[in-house]
Amino acid sequence: MSFLSPLYLVLGLAAGVPLLLHLLRRNIAARVDFPAARYLQRAEQEHSRSLRLRNLLLMLLRVLLVLALAIAAARPLLSGIGTGHAPTALAVVLDNSLSTTAMSGGAPVFAQLRAAAMSLLKAAAPTDRLWLVTADGRVRGGSRDALLAEVARLAPEEGAGDLPLALRRAAAAVQGSALPARVVAVATDGQQTAWRAAPRVDAPVSVLVPAGDPPRNHAVLSVNADPPRWTPRGTITTQVDAPDSIGYRILLGSRTLARGAAGRAEPVHLRVAPPERGWQELRVELEPDDFAADDVRYAAVWLGPPPRVSAEPSAGPFIATALTTLISDGRAAAGRDLRIAAADVVDSLPALITPPADAIRLGAANRALARLRVPWRFGPRDVAPALVRGGGLEGIATSSRYRLVREGATASDTLATAAGEPWIVSGEGYVLIASPLDPAATTLPVRAAFLPWLADMIGRRLGAPAGDVGAPINVSPGSPLQLPAGADAIENATGTRRSIGGGAATAPAERGVWFILRGARRIGAIVVNVSANESALARLSAKALAPRLAGARGLAASRADAWVRDTFATGTHRPAGTLLLLLASLLLVAEAVAVRTARASAA
Amino acid sequence: MESSPRADQFDPAALATLGHIEVVARWIVDGFLSGLHRSPRKGFSVEFADYRPYQPGDDLRYVDWKIAARADRWVVKQYEEETNLRATLVLDVSRSMEWKGDARGLTKRLYAEQLAAAMGLLLLRQRDAVGLIRFDDAVRTSVPPSARTTQWRRLVAALAEPAGGRASDLAAALAQAARLVTRRGMVLLVSDLLVDPEPTITALRGLRAAGHDVMVFHVMDPAERDFGMSGEAQYTDPESALAVAVAAEDVRAAYRDTVTEVVAEWSAALAAMGASYELVLTNQPYTVPLRRAFDARQRRT
Repeated sequence: MSFLSPLYLVLGLAAGVPLLLHLLRRNIAARVDFPAARYLQRAEQEHSRSLRLRNLLLMLLRVLLVLALAIAAARPLLSGIGTGHAPTALAVVLDNSLSTTAMSGGAPVFAQLRAAAMSLLKAAAPTDRLWLVTADGRVRGGSRDALLAEVARLAPEEGAGDLPLALRRAAAAVQGSALPARVVAVATDGQQTAWRAAPRVDAPVSVLVPAGDPPRNHAVLSVNADPPRWTPRGTITTQVDAPDSIGYRILLGSRTLARGAAGRAEPVHLRVAPPERGWQELRVELEPDDFAADDVRYAAVWLGPPPRVSAEPSAGPFIATALTTLISDGRAAAGRDLRIAAADVVDSLPALITPPADAIRLGAANRALARLRVPWRFGPRDVAPALVRGGGLEGIATSSRYRLVREGATASDTLATAAGEPWIVSGEGYVLIASPLDPAATTLPVRAAFLPWLADMIGRRLGAPAGDVGAPINVSPGSPLQLPAGADAIENATGTRRSIGGGAATAPAERGVWFILRGARRIGAIVVNVSANESALARLSAKALAPRLAGARGLAASRADAWVRDTFATGTHRPAGTLLLLLASLLLVAEAVAVRTARASAA
Repeated sequence: MESSPRADQFDPAALATLGHIEVVARWIVDGFLSGLHRSPRKGFSVEFADYRPYQPGDDLRYVDWKIAARADRWVVKQYEEETNLRATLVLDVSRSMEWKGDARGLTKRLYAEQLAAAMGLLLLRQRDAVGLIRFDDAVRTSVPPSARTTQWRRLVAALAEPAGGRASDLAAALAQAARLVTRRGMVLLVSDLLVDPEPTITALRGLRAAGHDVMVFHVMDPAERDFGMSGEAQYTDPESALAVAVAAEDVRAAYRDTVTEVVAEWSAALAAMGASYELVLTNQPYTVPLRRAFDARQRRT
């Protein structure tokens, strides 16, 4: 037996009142003159046995009545008996991820899940504590009516969400409650990919996965524009997931670049050199099916002339060779818009700056950096071998490097580190590398990653106009992202515009390409696509999912009514307040009958 | 034919508001006598004693016609034998008699005084010698029996004297009565009998042994008989300070049974010694107790 409001048990002390009145009767304060008191005394003595028994009975009835009311006020919970369900801390995880928009039986799966969630909430009692947790992990607490209204307003997310996070938060919410029954109720489509990383929580979990098979789905799994900045030539690669051949269309903005039929195993490659310039939306569309959300996938690309680059001899022979290759491939052009040189000879930005070939030139190099307002200086030389981390350069080793020492507070990016210290840094108009591009100092020039790295540096880091992010930002709907400084709005292909600020932000919930604007100029693009995992609609049954989430405390249901019943059956103790009130009523009636009988005999 | 209302049948409390005890007693006795339909005067002796003014109801045989012819006023002759009954009213005026259960009713003492006055007047009208003893924890007033015309005034004056001692010493009062009534006579005790029965019975038995007729009027408030109180309280005897804590509803039935037993016990004990017993409730008209007293007097004479 436990109590929801144990403080009310203090009321039980009132049971002492009839007891005290019974025991201390001879100290009754009220005094009444009655000359025939001797008759009273005699009557009491002669009938003491029956009077004592009746008074004892009345006292017991009154004590029991007070105790019953006090215990009822404390809202007791009894095992085995009681009415309704135990006061329950209930967190409803309603899967509103994109996969729930898949049609099943003529209606979206989400409609079934929402109806089930509303049934569950309607079955809740005022004594329950309720939370609603959606696929994005957002937790809402409130009354039953408030949450019902919230569920009614809810729409599917544009993304996969984070159902494991939602489950963890739901479990944390119920575990923080003092109520005797705590349960997490999950209404989900059971998508395998969504629950793959689900944790096992320390609370009963009641799982609803509606019966039925997922629809046959075909999806655009990926769209890649390579390189991210086309000068102006590039390649579009798309991967389609379809049980059989399906028609596709590739669009650049509103212009169709290609149509065709794609099979499951064969990626589609399209090499093009479009005439458009600036940031553009790339889109691959499939014929619609029962899960329309993954029938379109987006990418963004920058189109423009190649950067004009000159390499100084001080940068070394490997740079010169690589640049020649890039120029022949059309990804760079000869010119002096961008320079690659050792620090001691560089005289303008933008530039890819290497250390001086001779350490004796270090002072001149640092003076040149200061003159160019580059907030970094070359420090002491370090010949300890170290591995490079970051910047796509994992596996590259360095055996000689200058420590990069920061000067001033100007913003800059550390693109790669060696031994935990900056190795390649980048800022407005410069990329600075700590080791000479010489195999004696680093393995970078002789590795395959060197040419793509150099192309990226001159094409994206240095070749992009000032302020341009260089490459699209690929995110999922609603996920956090970092916007470039100076960004003041985003705009999608349909012209929908939203004001933003630079720095930390949240990706739009709507899928598509959102161009980052600085004034009227596009300085980058945010590509919002749902994870390809969301296209895999294969489901776990409720029986398979429930043990995975809660072990033996997992309850599985494929129908809403069973789910509602199972959810509230997790509490073994039920409210007994009504029973006690009934008992109190019976005691009251018994007391009234006893008093009335006594008075009737007295009359 | 409409009959005029008789004061002896009035509600005692209403009657008490109409006048002084002397006046009210006259009304009661007049009303009572008019209801007898016969003259109360019987047993007149041949030994002349005195004259007195004629009063309605007097036997015309005893009117002195000579005086009536000579003085034009009617007088009746009184004889020595007419006053052969010596009655003593023994009235309890203890604190317990000061109680009443209903604010609109009479206290037991007021009722008893009114009853005693009426009985005294009734007896005096019949030429009996009437005395009065008032007592509480001691004898407060003692008026020797007399049949003189001034005796009524003395009785009324004695009834008006203060009293209200704490307890009741009924045995002492009865002993005083025995001393006052030297000849065989009649003792009329008016009390609530909230006393120890044993000494009282003993004293009454002594009176009976001395040849006195004893008549006990047990005055009781209706609330003392029915115990119509409600709620829990300490019911306290103002005389003995005996306090009994009860819930009225719980003991009412037992109490009533006890009162019935007490009345039966008094009645039986008094009957056993040849004394009369009459339970008188303070809301009861005076007719019945007066009738009992009158009948007893008649039997005596």
